Amino acid sequence: MEKIISNSPALIVVIPLISAFLTLGIGVLKKKFCYPFAVIALSLSVFSSVVTLNTIIKTGTIHYHLGGWDPPWGIEYVVDYLNGLILVAIAIIGLMIVIFSKETVKMELPERIPFFYTIFLLEVTGLLGIVVTGDMFNLYVFLEIASLAGYALIAIGEDGAPLASFRYVIMGTIGACFYLLGVGYLYIMTGSLNMADLTQILPNFYHSKVIMVAFVFFVVGVAIKMALFPLHTWLPDAYTRAPSAVSALLAPLMTKVGVYVMIRILFTVFRPEFPIKMLHATDIMAWFGTFAILFGGIMALSQTDFKRMLCYIIVAEIGYMVGGIGMANALAIKGAIFHIINDMFMAACLFLVAGIVMHETGGHDISDFTGIFRKMPFTAAIFMVGALAVIGVPPTCGFFSKWYLLLGGIEAKHWGFVMALLLCTLMNVALFFRVIDKGLYVHALEHKLEHASEPKELQFHEAPLSMLIPGFIIAIAIFLIGIFNQAILKNIIELAIPSGL
Amino acid sequence: MTELLAMDYRPVLAIMCPIIASFLILVSGRRPNIRESWTIIGSISLFLIVLSMTPFVLKEGPIKCSLFKLFPNIDFAFNVDAFGLIFATTSSCLWILVSLFSIGYMRGLEEHAQTRYYFCFALAILGAIGIALSANLVTLYIFYEILTISTYPLVAHDESPEAIYAGHKYLAYLLTAGVFFLLGILVIYFLVGTTDFAPNGILKPALGSTSRLVLQALFFVFMLAFMKAAWMPVHSWLPTAMIAPTPVSALLHAVAVVKAGVFGIIRTVYYVYGTDLMHELNLGLALGLLASFTIIVANFYAIGQVNLKRLLAYSTINQLSVIILGAALLSPMAATSAMIHIAYHGFMKITLFLCAGAIIVITGKTEISQMRGIGRQMPITMTAFSIAAIGMCGAPPVAGFISKWYLCLGTLQAGQVIFLGVVLISALLDVVYFFPVIKTAFFEKLAVPALANGGEVGEKTIEAERPLYLFMIIPLAITAIFSIIFCLFPHTFHILDLAEMAVRNLFGGM
Repeated sequence: MEKIISNSPALIVVIPLISAFLTLGIGVLKKKFCYPFAVIALSLSVFSSVVTLNTIIKTGTIHYHLGGWDPPWGIEYVVDYLNGLILVAIAIIGLMIVIFSKETVKMELPERIPFFYTIFLLEVTGLLGIVVTGDMFNLYVFLEIASLAGYALIAIGEDGAPLASFRYVIMGTIGACFYLLGVGYLYIMTGSLNMADLTQILPNFYHSKVIMVAFVFFVVGVAIKMALFPLHTWLPDAYTRAPSAVSALLAPLMTKVGVYVMIRILFTVFRPEFPIKMLHATDIMAWFGTFAILFGGIMALSQTDFKRMLCYIIVAEIGYMVGGIGMANALAIKGAIFHIINDMFMAACLFLVAGIVMHETGGHDISDFTGIFRKMPFTAAIFMVGALAVIGVPPTCGFFSKWYLLLGGIEAKHWGFVMALLLCTLMNVALFFRVIDKGLYVHALEHKLEHASEPKELQFHEAPLSMLIPGFIIAIAIFLIGIFNQAILKNIIELAIPSGL
Repeated sequence: MTELLAMDYRPVLAIMCPIIASFLILVSGRRPNIRESWTIIGSISLFLIVLSMTPFVLKEGPIKCSLFKLFPNIDFAFNVDAFGLIFATTSSCLWILVSLFSIGYMRGLEEHAQTRYYFCFALAILGAIGIALSANLVTLYIFYEILTISTYPLVAHDESPEAIYAGHKYLAYLLTAGVFFLLGILVIYFLVGTTDFAPNGILKPALGSTSRLVLQALFFVFMLAFMKAAWMPVHSWLPTAMIAPTPVSALLHAVAVVKAGVFGIIRTVYYVYGTDLMHELNLGLALGLLASFTIIVANFYAIGQVNLKRLLAYSTINQLSVIILGAALLSPMAATSAMIHIAYHGFMKITLFLCAGAIIVITGKTEISQMRGIGRQMPITMTAFSIAAIGMCGAPPVAGFISKWYLCLGTLQAGQVIFLGVVLISALLDVVYFFPVIKTAFFEKLAVPALANGGEVGEKTIEAERPLYLFMIIPLAITAIFSIIFCLFPHTFHILDLAEMAVRNLFGGM
C-alpha cells in the first residue's frame, strides 16, 4: 500500500499506457473482454489520481522523480493543487465515457472494438500525462500522444470524418511545431527543460528577444490546441464527425487541458510579472477571450446540428477561461481554474446526451430531439442539468465559476469581458431553449399523428443503463460541485492560484 | 454542530413541501386523482408551515436558517422576517385555492400534458416561497431563476405557435432581467462584500468608495432586474403571457411572478439601499415618477381592452405600480400600504382571474362584448367579480380600501401631494374600465342563445351544471369572501401585524 501511494503519480499514467497495449492483445484473443478491461484500467487510474490528490491535500506538492533520476536531468512529475484536481476530473470523466462507450461502439464501430479501446486508452494516457508532468519536453511528448490518438479516433467517425481529421492533423501539427520551437529556444537559452528549474533561471533572460519569441510560440501553439478563436477552425468539424464516445471524451478534455497548459506556462514556467507587466500579453488575451465568447455564441445560434452547436459552445467556453486568465487577477484566475473543472463535466454531460440521442434516433440534429421529454425522460433530465449548467443557473456548478469570472472582470474593470459573459448567458438560453422546445412541445404533433396512426414516434424507449448511469453520475456531480463549491475552492483551488498575482 | 441542531428548520421544511410535491406529481403522472391529491396535500402543508412561523416571528423576531456556503460571506440562507412572511402567506394560501380551481379548469377543458402543468406549478411555488424567505440577494436570485424557468412551460402550455411565441417573449424578458440581476448583485458584492438584507440597507458604506452616479445607475440595473414587476415600458411580456391557462395567469401573473418582482423592488429599496441612501440619492422620487407613469398609462391601456384577460393584465400592471409607488414614497404609511397590498391585491386579482377562467370553461367566452347577461347565468362568479372589481377601485368594504387608505396617508406623510393626485386619478380610472364589465354582465340581455348545441339557454344558472364546475366556483367564492374579510378584519393571517412590524423595523416607530 505504501508503495502504491508513493508511486501514485507515475501509476496515473503508467496504468492506462500499459493497458492500452494489453487491450490490443486481449482483443485479438477475445473481443468482448476489451470493454471490461478498459473499464478496470481507468478505474485504477481514478483510484490513483484520487490517492494523489489526497496526498497533496495532506502533505503538499508531490515531486516524483521518474526512474530515480534527479531533475533537471531526469524527468520529474510534479503534482500540486492545480493539476491534482484536474487529474481527478480527467480520470473520472475518462472512466464515465468508457463505461458509456459500450453500446455506441457496438453500434457505430462493430468491427474495430479492440483498436478503438487501445487508442482510447492512449488518448487518456496522453491527457493525464500532459497534466502530470513537470518537464517541458515530456509535456510535448504527451501532447503528441494525445493529439495523434485524437486524430485516429476522429478519423473513424461518420461521413466526412477523415477530412475533418485531416484538417485537425494539419492545424494540430502546426500547433505542436510552435510549441516544440518554443521548447527549443528555451533550451538554447537556459539549458534546462524542467519547469521548476526554468522558473528559477528564466528571470535573468526576461529581456532576451529569444525568450519573448519562445513565449509567443508557446502561446500560439497552445492556442491552436485548445481552439482559441480565431484558431478554432478545426474543432467544429472534428468533434461533430467523431464517433459519439470520442467526441464525449475529446470535447470536454482536450481543449481544457490546453487551458491548463496555458496557465502553467504563463504563471509557473514564466513568473506572472513577465506576461502581465512586461509583455502585456494578458491584455491581448482578455480581448481574444471576449471575441471568442461572442463569436462562439453567435455561431452556435446558427447551427441546426446539436453536436456542432455544442462545439461552438466549447469555443465560447474557451473564451471564458482565456478571458479569465487575461483579467490577470486572483479572482478571475480562480474562476478560470474552477471553470476548467466545471466545463469538463458540463461538456461531458451534453456530449453524452448527444451520444444517447444518436444511439436512439440515429442522428444528432436538433430535430432529433423531438419529444425527448416524453420518450426519453431520463435522458431529458440529464440534458436539462447540462443545459442549465452551461447557461449558469444556480445551483449547478456553471454558475459559481461564472460568478468568479465576472467578479474578476469587474475588479479588472474590463467591461467588454463582463458584457460578453452576460450576453453569452443569454445566447446560451436561446440555444438550449430551442432544443427544449423541440423536446417539450409535442402535443400538437401528437394530435396530427393520432389521426393518421399510432404516435409511434413518441413511445417510451429509453437508452440502455450503461449509457444512462454515467450520465446520471456526471449530472449529480454537476450539482455536487456547485453545492460544495466552497469546500473545493478553499481546500484546493485557492491554493492552486499561482503566487504573484 | 450544536449550532446546526439548534437552528429552526421550518423555512427548509416550507421549501421542501413543493419540492416533494413536484417529485410525487411526476411519479404518479398516470393516475390523475393521486397526482392532484399530492398538489393539495403539498399546498396545505406548506400553508400550515408558513402560518406556524407567523406568531413566532411576531413575538421573537426573524427566523434565521443557513444551509451551506455559496461564496465567502454569502450563505444559502433563509431569513424569515415579517415582510417575507406576507408574501409567503399569500402565495401559499392561494396555491391551495388555485390548485382546486386547476382541477376544474384543466379537466373541464380536457387539457393535455397535465402532469407537466402540475409539476411546473409546484416548482413555481417553490420559487415564490424561496424568494419570500431568502436572506440575501444571491439566494433570492437562485429562486428568482427557478421561478422564471419553471413558469416558461406553463406560459407556452397551449403549444400553439402564438403560445410558444408568448413563451419565448416571456423568457427573453425575464432571463434578460436575470442577467441584470446577476450584474447588480456582483457589483454590490464587489462594493460592500455582502448581500445580506438588513433593515437599514447595506450599501451605505459604498458611498465613500464610489460615486453617487454609480449607485444611481446600479439602482436602475436592479429595476431592470425586477422586470417581473412589469413596470412600463418593460411590461409587454405580461399581456402576451395571458395566453397561458387561466389558473396560471391567476396565480403566477397576479401573485407569484409579478409579486416576486415588486417584492424584489421593496427588498432593494429598503433592505439593500435603505431609506437614508434612497433619500440621499433622490432615488425615491425617480422611482415614484416611474411608478406614476405606469399607473396612469396602464389604466388607459386597460380602458381600451376588449379581451377580459388582457384587461386584467393591464389592471395588474397598474396595481403593481401602485405597490411600487408605496415603496418609493419612503414614508412609514406608504410602506405599510405597499406591503399589505401585496397580499390584498393578490386575493382580489386572483378572484378576477378565476372568474375569467370559470367563464372560459363554462361558456367559452373570452371577450367582454360576448358577456352580455352572463351575470344571470353565473351569479356567484359575477358577484365575486364585482366584489373584487370594487376592491380594485379602492372602495370599502373590500380589502383594496385599506391599502389605498394607507397609501393616501403615506403620500401626505411624505409630503408628496402630487402622488396623492396620481393615486386618486388611478382609482377613478379603475372605475372606468371595471364598471362596464359589470354593467355588461348584469344589466344587458343575452343577444343570442349562447350554447354551442343550440339548445334553449334562457337565463337559467349554468354554474353548477356539472360537479366539476364546483371546483372552480368554490375557490373563487372563497377568495372573494377573503377580500371582504381583509377589509373588515385586516389582521386576518396577521397580514397587517406583519406589515406594521416590518415597517417598525425599517423606520423605528410609526
